[in-house]
Amino acid sequence: MAQIFPEWTNRLPVIIGAAVLMLLVGVVGFFWYYGSPKYTDVGYRPEQPIKYSHKLHAGDLGMDCRYCHSSVEQSPVANIPPTQTCMNCHTLVGLDKPTLDPVRQSWTSGVPIEWIRVHKLPDYAYFNHSAHLRAGVGCESCHGNVREMEEIMQVQPLSMSWCLDCHRNPDQHLRPPEDLTKMNWTPPENQAEFAGRVKKELNINPPVDCSGCHR
Amino acid sequence: MNKPSNVLNKEYWRSLNQLADNEEYRKYLENEFPEGASELNSPMKRRNFLGLMGASIALAGLAACRRPVEKIIPYVAQPEEVIPGIPNYYASTIPFGLESFGVIVESHEGHPTKIEGNKKHPSTMGASNILQQASILDLYDPDRSQNVLNGGKISTWSAFEGFWKGMHKEFSANRGKGLAVLSRSFHSPSMARAQHDFMKTFPQARWVNYEAVSDVNIYAGLKIATGRPVQPVYRLDKAKVVFALDADFLYSETDNIRNARGFADGRRLKSEKDDMNRLYVAEGIFTVTGGMADHRLRVNTSQIINLAVALVHELKSLGARSVVADQTKPVQLPEKQAVFINALAKDLIANRGKSLVLAGRRQPAEVHALVYAINNTLKNTGNAVEYYTLEDAGIPDPDEFDLLINDLMTGTVSTLAILGGNPLYDAPADAGFDLAIQIAQHTIHLGSHVDETASKCEWHLPMAHFLESWGDARALDGTLSVVQPLIEPLFGGRSALEIVQLLADGTPTRGYEIVQRNWKKVLRGNFEHSWKKLLHEGVLENSASKPVGTKMKPAEIAKALNGRSPAEVPSAHSLEINFVASPALFDGRFANNGWLQELPDSVSKLSWDNAVLMSLQTAQALGVKNEDVVLLEFEGRELAAPVWIQPGQADFSILLVLGYGRNAAGRIGSGVGFNAYRLRTVKHPDFATGLKITPTSEVYEMANTQDHNSMEGRPIVREASLEEYRKEPNFAPEMVEHPPLVSLWEEHSYEEGYQWGMVIDLNACTGCNACTIACQSENNIPIVGKEQVRNGREMHWLRMDRYFIGDIDEPEMVYQPVGCQQCENAPCEQVCPVQATVHDSEGLNVMAYNRCIGTRYCSNNCPYKVRRFNFFNYTKDLPEIVHMAQNPDVTVRSRGVMEKCTYCTQRINEGKYAAKAEGREVKDGEIVSACEQACPTNAITFGNINDPNSAVVQMKKQNRNYELLAELNVQPRTSYLAKLRNPNPELEKSS
Repeated sequence: MAQIFPEWTNRLPVIIGAAVLMLLVGVVGFFWYYGSPKYTDVGYRPEQPIKYSHKLHAGDLGMDCRYCHSSVEQSPVANIPPTQTCMNCHTLVGLDKPTLDPVRQSWTSGVPIEWIRVHKLPDYAYFNHSAHLRAGVGCESCHGNVREMEEIMQVQPLSMSWCLDCHRNPDQHLRPPEDLTKMNWTPPENQAEFAGRVKKELNINPPVDCSGCHR
Repeated sequence: MNKPSNVLNKEYWRSLNQLADNEEYRKYLENEFPEGASELNSPMKRRNFLGLMGASIALAGLAACRRPVEKIIPYVAQPEEVIPGIPNYYASTIPFGLESFGVIVESHEGHPTKIEGNKKHPSTMGASNILQQASILDLYDPDRSQNVLNGGKISTWSAFEGFWKGMHKEFSANRGKGLAVLSRSFHSPSMARAQHDFMKTFPQARWVNYEAVSDVNIYAGLKIATGRPVQPVYRLDKAKVVFALDADFLYSETDNIRNARGFADGRRLKSEKDDMNRLYVAEGIFTVTGGMADHRLRVNTSQIINLAVALVHELKSLGARSVVADQTKPVQLPEKQAVFINALAKDLIANRGKSLVLAGRRQPAEVHALVYAINNTLKNTGNAVEYYTLEDAGIPDPDEFDLLINDLMTGTVSTLAILGGNPLYDAPADAGFDLAIQIAQHTIHLGSHVDETASKCEWHLPMAHFLESWGDARALDGTLSVVQPLIEPLFGGRSALEIVQLLADGTPTRGYEIVQRNWKKVLRGNFEHSWKKLLHEGVLENSASKPVGTKMKPAEIAKALNGRSPAEVPSAHSLEINFVASPALFDGRFANNGWLQELPDSVSKLSWDNAVLMSLQTAQALGVKNEDVVLLEFEGRELAAPVWIQPGQADFSILLVLGYGRNAAGRIGSGVGFNAYRLRTVKHPDFATGLKITPTSEVYEMANTQDHNSMEGRPIVREASLEEYRKEPNFAPEMVEHPPLVSLWEEHSYEEGYQWGMVIDLNACTGCNACTIACQSENNIPIVGKEQVRNGREMHWLRMDRYFIGDIDEPEMVYQPVGCQQCENAPCEQVCPVQATVHDSEGLNVMAYNRCIGTRYCSNNCPYKVRRFNFFNYTKDLPEIVHMAQNPDVTVRSRGVMEKCTYCTQRINEGKYAAKAEGREVKDGEIVSACEQACPTNAITFGNINDPNSAVVQMKKQNRNYELLAELNVQPRTSYLAKLRNPNPELEKSS
């Protein structure tokens, strides 16, 4: 009797096994890469209602971050400035610029400007800006070199493991208070010594417990 | 080990089912999640749930590709005092009839989220009760009235102002003839001033204050006794012996926070060498105060007066001089009561000047007159009780209310303005207010809801919440405080003060101006400066009045007593009915508050209902059992309501609390429970005999939590008498014998840093539930509804366990608040497959909600049953405005997630941030948990157990300290101080 299955079918289980394995690796790999905040969140740059340039204000004009984000050292929240803050200067500067129309409109009508959130943590994670600044973590560590951004974008994944990397070993991210808002800051050679000292002085022991961020 | 045997012999039980140990109860216990809890049966059927799941997975697949756009909306002009992310705190006052509660309100970017007591205010002293805690939710009640209504149609404020302008002209001409105001009682200089203005413009007008539940009997009694309706204020901390006649002074009656604090202060012990006060209670219904009693005498409410008379005579026979006794006849008491009164009288005499007798608001005026006489005889006046004259007060007057109805009927009054009340719901059934209001030509109703009264009035005006309006108030002792708004009226409401001023002037004035105008006369020095200081403090310093001297009129008291016919003794054919304000819903005004509706009653543990409470003997005599519907017939009126058997209730006496059975309360409160006002009459507003009960064949299902989360007979609450405690100071920790505890694995060391712990003093805890509601408010705990409570799915993180002890008819009662015990060797953590619940370095058993996949293993393995599971997404479907009441510092949990007490980890974090910002350690007492902050008796202490000087360590060092189920070696961080009772040795012998 002729054989029903030709000989190559003997290899079929192996082929199927290999295919399934490849598919599995593919799927896992796909989600590993495309599903991670590194891919989904880094580079997020939504179009804002106003073409506000951090490069111009913070970079070229050299304004300190805290002029606008004034509550960052006292509050868990680094506030988005009220229209009033814009108008402090723009009642005198840029009067002829149509790009500023929405700001003036907001100021006269009393209707706030609706910015689009770029750096977003999940609702169950409680981040405190003031605590991080007090410890000496600079703006740049999480927000990147804002002074060179025409439009604000996310440069770090802001994922839990990324947070924990620093919480477990913060040494390379601790700066003296005067350097907090500096960009392109690089740790000096004696950073390890500085970090060791400042950690003791300021009682810095970043929590790695769930309750540190989740309530 | 030598243990005090009678301590162990006590039998603790939670329900009749448990006492009977029947099959139903055992089956109930075996199920970790009671009936139906593990099936998906409600509100959607399993099949359509699966269908929906399929659909939503398909949709989720597509939706997840895009990151949702979230907006940040900053201020246009940021107010100077607002820093986004940091809450502000403002002082204000909750006016509550003649009482007022000074509070501190937390506000997040302009919306109030939490209410706490103001330490500087004499009636809160930093603590709070359930009504204050829950009143934040009322602000965001989506069912509040949102429009001015004219004839049921939407109108405007200017239309009403136009209408009133015409009326004002008319009434100015005839000096207010035919005009009447029906106000709630008040205690406020500005309101008194506005009333004065009104009466000056309309001298012929009528002004009537009405409250369905009030202390009028007390004022009437003191008027008999002293000639003046004065306000008693109790200093319970000065009383060694207290006798409460039908008075729930610790929980549901006037000034309960101050009373509870004073009472607990008189009971606080550091060691067996200290002394504590003794509480005697005689009552017909079982109250929280009765549960705290060292001796509780079960007497029908209508027979309480006999005890008061007997006590006067007993005191006289023991040598106290008493003119009242000379001029009245003694009464013959049953032997048990006579023994009680005799022992009590001796105790009172021995503690002359250091004792207190008080009677409840439902007792007739004669009892209050007698109580005054007794306190006077015992020289307690000026010590444990002081009297104040009520200035700027609108004292309710039921007789005036009856006259008003009469005048409405005859047409003498043609225009009626109802300010804030709901008389169509809460007026006596035979008063005829429902007819009278139809005869009136013009009716104006100011109310927070379009309630029973609003729908029958020509005009309805939305009333502002106290957090939306300006005002002022006096405490019972006269202390002045301001009512400061935190938010513009959400629905355009106005306050009663503004309306009275509008009625008086014909033109509207803003509340702020009215209040400031008055305070300009009160404040000395630079007004702006003192006004700002006043707003900051909330209370005007040293503004309390001086207690007034009173002079007893014994002949008047005797006359009143002799003129009274003896009360009928209740029997199976003529039962006694008791009308008491619900501790949670009060007179019904809190009916639409979900927190208060779901809160299990302290004594009956009923949630979302009231019921005909009766003793087992009464039920047996009537042939009824729990949940049987019976027909109540009283003076020609009928009401059908279900039965619930309440141990400790007097025989042939029933209790049906007021405040339920509303039909226009709103989404939450309409149709919940049974309306006891339908049986309440002008003559018998408090209690009466002559009730007939006939069983029906109907059964009504109720939600009762008394058997939920049972710890199955293990010695969870521990108590002893003071005498036993002195003999065996270590009775509490030694009550359970266990072999040396050895851990299966290497134990974690918790020796460094902050280590959080808590102590709950059961000797101070009264069971008032303030902690439960404070926790609910602080931690965004959802309400689940009656059906889910029946299924055992209530979500309270801190539950109040109530145990009965001993005799089924006359049990003692003890409370125990139980939240997560924060075990160091937490059994829940060992079974979580996804590490959603783990330990942190400060000893907290933390819960990462986002990791939880809902296996519920942790709850199964928790010996304390303190974990709560979200069977549904309870928060999602809430109207948006209710979300504003939520604490932004706490995660809102979703469906399928386990949750539990965290020791208020958000507050711990805030405290640590604050300390670090100042470069120091957290100070003891700086971080307070929500339950600790609310507790009126300071029964809860929280702190760092690694700090040997902290209050919590000092408490834990006491010999009454014990841990729940310590024998399991779970090493809980919460411990309890055993309860003590201080019985009179004389009475102990005789019983």
